[in-house]
Parts: sequence; C-alpha cells; structure tokens
Amino acid sequence: MSFEDWYRQDRLPHIFCAGCGNGTIINCTLAAIEQMAWKKEETVFVSGIGCSSRAPGYIAADSLHTTHGRAIAFATGVKLANPELNVVVFTGDGDLAAIGGNHFIHGCRRNIDITVICMNNQIYGMTGGQGSPTTPLGCFSSTTPFGCAEAPFDLCELAIAAGANYVSRWTSYHVKELEKAVYAGLQTPGFSFIEALVQCPTAFGRRNKFKQVGDQVDYLRTHSMLKAKHDRLLEQGEHIPPDMFVVGELVRRNRPVPGVKI
Amino acid sequence: MKLAIDETRCKGCNLCTKVCPYKIFKEGKKANRRGIIIPELDRPERCTNCRLMHLYGRTLCGVCQLTCPDQAIHWVEEQPYEPHKVAIEY
Repeated sequence: MSFEDWYRQDRLPHIFCAGCGNGTIINCTLAAIEQMAWKKEETVFVSGIGCSSRAPGYIAADSLHTTHGRAIAFATGVKLANPELNVVVFTGDGDLAAIGGNHFIHGCRRNIDITVICMNNQIYGMTGGQGSPTTPLGCFSSTTPFGCAEAPFDLCELAIAAGANYVSRWTSYHVKELEKAVYAGLQTPGFSFIEALVQCPTAFGRRNKFKQVGDQVDYLRTHSMLKAKHDRLLEQGEHIPPDMFVVGELVRRNRPVPGVKI
Repeated sequence: MKLAIDETRCKGCNLCTKVCPYKIFKEGKKANRRGIIIPELDRPERCTNCRLMHLYGRTLCGVCQLTCPDQAIHWVEEQPYEPHKVAIEY
C-alpha cells in the first residue's frame, strides 16, 4: 500500500494551478501518515480557507473544511471530543498567520496533541495575490505594488516562543526531508508545527521575477540554509546573507501535553 | 515495473525534469489534445526503482512521485514477456 491509496481517485486531478507546490506537500504528508500505519477511520484532516485548505477534499479520510482561520480551533474540538482520533491540520499562511494567528499561538500554548502543516506560499493565492503577513520585504503583490514595506512573520519562531513541542521548516524542494519531518511531528506528542515553503507560480512568481515554475524552486533550494550551518556561522561570527532562511528541525522538547501520558 | 506518466492528470509543470537524479524526464515538444506539453521519458529503463522495487519490497528513490504536484507519476506492472531494453552506463 502506498500513499496513493489515501487519495480520492474520483476527485483527481485537483484544481491547483500547474506547478503549485501544495500537491507535493500533500504527497509528503500522506507518505508520512502511511509510515505511521494509521487507519483511515482513525484519522481526521482539518483545514480552513485558501488554496492549501482544499487539500483534505482530496484525501479519502474524514475531513473538516472549516471557516477562515479557525482550523486549529475546530481541530481542538475534534481532539477533545474523541482523544483517540489522530488529527492533522492543513493550513496556509494567510489562514494561519493572518486571521487565525490568535488560534495558532493559543494552540501552541495549550500544546494540544495535533500536527499542523502550514503551506507557506507567502501570498494570498486564491483571492488574487494580495500581500499576506509572510510576504518578504520588497516583494510585489497586488496590494503592495511598490514592494512590501512591512516585516514578515517568522512562523517557526512564533511557534517556538508560544511553546510548541516540535517545530521544523522545509521547502517543497526537500521532499524526503519534509516527509521525515512530518513523520517526526506525527510521532511527537503535543503540538507539532511543520512549515513548508511552497512555490506559487500564478500569484507570487508571476510578479516577482520567477516566470517559470522551476525558477522559484531553484530559489527555495539555493536560499535555504541548514540549521547546523546557521548555528556554526553565528558561533564563528560570520556574515549570514539576509535573504537566507533556516531549514531543518528547529525545536523538539517535552512540555506537558493535556490528555497524553508521557 | 515500469515508469508511467498519467496524461489525464499531468499539467505540464516540468518539475520532474528538475528532480530526477538520472534525468529520465525530458521537457516534451508536442502539445497533447488538451494543449498540455507532457514530459517525455528518456530511456526509462535506467530508473532504479523500476528494477529493484520488488527485490527490496519498498520504494527506493521515489522523488519524482513525491514531487509531482498532480500525482501523475506512478509505476505500473509490465505485461508478461514484454521486450526489455538494457542500458549499461559506464
């Protein structure tokens, strides 16, 4: 049995644009869930509103497609009602960081036993490319036509500060590493947060000099820096280019989890 | 096993041409009936997974399948007595 069996074959092909990275992230998540050997009846997928949040509609398990930003609130309810269920939340950056920011930090604070996978495409893709809270400085979108002037959120730092048990960040290029990270996150009791940077050729790449799909994937590959290297450079006091982002397992700890015996 | 691209699902993003370590996927040239240029397979018998999947009982590389955003790449069982081409690379 492979992860292909988790898809609703009658719903495919999905409506994501050509080259959208969301499909890759769903593949990696389902491959990790396949490794966990979870049953379809015991797994629930929850999502909010957005491109990424259409993901549970293509998965042949119980799913909730909820209101904008409230995916983690609904997932908390699912977990409270039946703690035996395995709950996975798919969410996007606009869903998680903008309107659902409060639910996100309180989910981390309560340390509920759920896994949150954030597909961060750095823009509001579905509504026409408006700037989101994670749009990098100087990037163009339909609401920032002269370049974004506001500093972006670092979602992983936010999750670490708020108290999540497992936090890691990968991109849609690093598929095997992402699969391992999701697997580790699913195994960890407590709130696991995996941020996956994805390419968005239609809304983000078109305005930011990534005309081809491969261009933005190349950017993600060349501008990611492993956490070990980042720490080593910090220790040696060397210069770290400002456009690099850290990838890898950022935190893993054992804060007490409500409802789970350690 | 042999490598196959599902033409009804592929959207022609050419991400598979970037990730395959053997460069088996090549950018296609001709648009199909839906106007999508589907990648071509360049000597797919070189794929490690096709030869060794049954022997090891697991997926060995599988990066193209994981990367494909449209779930279009998969491996299919061959027909019995299908002629094989053997590629030897030095």
